[in-house]
Amino acid sequence: MNNDRYSRQVRYPAIGDAGQEALGQSTALIVGCGALGSVIANTLARAGVGTLRIVDRDFLETSNLQRQMLYDEADVESNLPKAIVAAEKLRRINSSIVVEPHVVDVDAANIEALSKGVDVILDATDNFEIRFLINDVAVKHSIPWIYGGCLGADGQTMTILPNTSACLRCLMLEGPPLPGTMPTCDSAGILASIINVIGSIQANEAMKILSGNKQSISKSLTIVELWQNQFRQMDVSKLRDQVDCPTCKGRQFDWLDGRQGSHSAVLCGRNAVQLSPPERQPLDLEKLASSLESVGQVTRNRFLMKLAVDDFELTLFPDGRAIINGTEDVAVARKLYAQYVGN
Amino acid sequence: MIKRVLLFASAKETLGQDSVDLELAADATVADLRKQLVNDYPVLNDLVARSHIAVDQQFALDDMSLTDAREVALIPPVSGG
Repeated sequence: MNNDRYSRQVRYPAIGDAGQEALGQSTALIVGCGALGSVIANTLARAGVGTLRIVDRDFLETSNLQRQMLYDEADVESNLPKAIVAAEKLRRINSSIVVEPHVVDVDAANIEALSKGVDVILDATDNFEIRFLINDVAVKHSIPWIYGGCLGADGQTMTILPNTSACLRCLMLEGPPLPGTMPTCDSAGILASIINVIGSIQANEAMKILSGNKQSISKSLTIVELWQNQFRQMDVSKLRDQVDCPTCKGRQFDWLDGRQGSHSAVLCGRNAVQLSPPERQPLDLEKLASSLESVGQVTRNRFLMKLAVDDFELTLFPDGRAIINGTEDVAVARKLYAQYVGN
Repeated sequence: MIKRVLLFASAKETLGQDSVDLELAADATVADLRKQLVNDYPVLNDLVARSHIAVDQQFALDDMSLTDAREVALIPPVSGG
């Protein structure tokens, strides 16, 4: 390792040589590589976290550039999945670390494999359904994880040390809010500045965990109202003892065991719906591309295929997943999928 | 007693103000406060049920008494990212 590379960080007393060494031997799983994921991955790659496993299901759109700091216009043009673009960029930032991109939708069937051997999980997703799944796998396998969420100029983050501090379900015993009941980036907008604040706090918490400084982890939910320059804490240090949490006390993993969860999702701020067939049938994209050429405009690369037809755009992935742009109506998306790909 | 409730995130956006004052019984609990909030501001109905209540910057369970509370905050979860 080039000693100069991390010298400014090593000089920070809580990191030191031992902390830097520990960071280099650590693995972080970053779930989602959009806005928060960009900030987190960028920070942790520069800090020298040895292995970054990056998972994202989506590809880039022009409206992402306002807040997703890893990407540029050429990346949007490339039509490549975010995880692939991010991995290339992170390797250019720091060639001494390992970056593992995964272009998949995180679900109950794959999250245990994705989180195998990781020292921390960073939540850079945009919905609570998946956060409850992350919470299940983290509590089950005792992996620390860090929640982050942003909307408008507001953000929140909390670090969960399974079996020690309150988990997400302790905080929200009733489970995630029903789909459609929460404001989204579409309705409320989102500023890049709050993303950078919350993503930086998450990355900082991860660095405490990975550098041997668990005693310094926040025991509060941090609440930021950036437009009002307000930073607040809500202490959750007593919460785990106060509630009868089915997840961290009952060891009941409803999302991981598939008792909760859905197979479609309206994507935050995208005017798009993702469909993931519960039983994954791999798609032969080459065959599909040639059969759909008469239907609309088809483009294809190694990772995905796009079909533009009427006012919609269908993006198909080899694992059977699809993202339907041009609608937020799951029924419309399903109809298009059935029409062009099959049931 | 009158308690001022500080509003955050979508609660603040929905009402267009950063706090509300509620008239509560002297022995009111967090659960009573939730009921009174929905009663006075029906538009917050869905939001109140899934928001955290912080009393003096600590997570507060529904059975907690508000008699000695100096500061009460309604904190809806924030989802995007």
